[in-house]
Amino acid sequence: MAATLDITGLTCPMTWVRTKLTLEKLAAGEELVVLCPEGEALDNVPRSAREAGHEVDVEGAVVRIVRR
Amino acid sequence: MSSSRRGLFRSAAQAAARAAIPDAVPGEPTASPDTLSPDELERYSRQLVLEQWGEAEQLRLRDASVLIVGAGALGSPVAAYLAGAGVGRIGIVDGDDVELSNLHRQHLHHTSEIGVSKAHGAAAKLQLLNPEVMVEPYQVRLDAGNAEGLVLGHDLIVDCSDTFATRYAVNAACCQTGAWLVEGGVVGVTGMVMSIRPGSSACYRCAFEAEPADAPTCAEAGVLGPAAGVVGSLQALEAMKLLAGVPGALLDAFLQVELLTGSFLRVATRRRDDCPDCGD
Repeated sequence: MAATLDITGLTCPMTWVRTKLTLEKLAAGEELVVLCPEGEALDNVPRSAREAGHEVDVEGAVVRIVRR
Repeated sequence: MSSSRRGLFRSAAQAAARAAIPDAVPGEPTASPDTLSPDELERYSRQLVLEQWGEAEQLRLRDASVLIVGAGALGSPVAAYLAGAGVGRIGIVDGDDVELSNLHRQHLHHTSEIGVSKAHGAAAKLQLLNPEVMVEPYQVRLDAGNAEGLVLGHDLIVDCSDTFATRYAVNAACCQTGAWLVEGGVVGVTGMVMSIRPGSSACYRCAFEAEPADAPTCAEAGVLGPAAGVVGSLQALEAMKLLAGVPGALLDAFLQVELLTGSFLRVATRRRDDCPDCGD
């Protein structure tokens, strides 16, 4: 089962800090499901994850990240 | 205070440092959890967000013990950045009191503190800056006699002293104990920075065999505050790279900075087998 992370109560850059630190604990190929707040974070979190080399899929406010 | 009484206090402080007991003993360390607290996440968020930095690097910093030799022009930025960055335990050694002529470059000290111990004044400010870290002041001048006792128990030393004699004493003590070392110096608008892992990279004496005969101290030659700030900031950065295991430290190399023209030169150096400090 994929790990989940709720960052809806956070603002930038804590949204990405929490996502990044959670990803660091996963093994390569594992998935993290991030519940993202609408707005800036929904642009920034997927973008930062892609820039870090992870696979990213966005459906509404749910960001699925597969660790590289 | 009469000079004889001052001398008495100085010898008492020196005796304390020889026994490696800090002047002010902080509270008992509590067990460190292997994750960061929400407050720590917030406090360090702007470094945690970096590609090169993560929870593992931050925890390595938190578990580290650093001794800063000198709470002056270099020691001010070094101590402030390392405390701010979350180095878990910081010792700060300085036997001098704050003087009016220090203040243009030693930003950990304030005009209201003229005559106050630099080690204690600096420690108080660092504790305000980051109460999460432990700060231990040592009001004593480091010399060849007490260097090893002060260095022992620390993972890394940042040498922010202003004389060659102290620099060589710190280097020898690090070679003896195996503590990592970040050297630095600044005079006028020129400075140098060098990182050392004794036994595996060139030590300070490998690179600079003997002190120059006519070397001016910064008291004689003068120094511009921001030049010391640049060199101290580079030292803090080197310490963070070494402690966190981030690659790129100035090992087997020193950086020469000339700040009037803004030129930085990385000079390669190597271990000498016959080095009296680190040679086999």
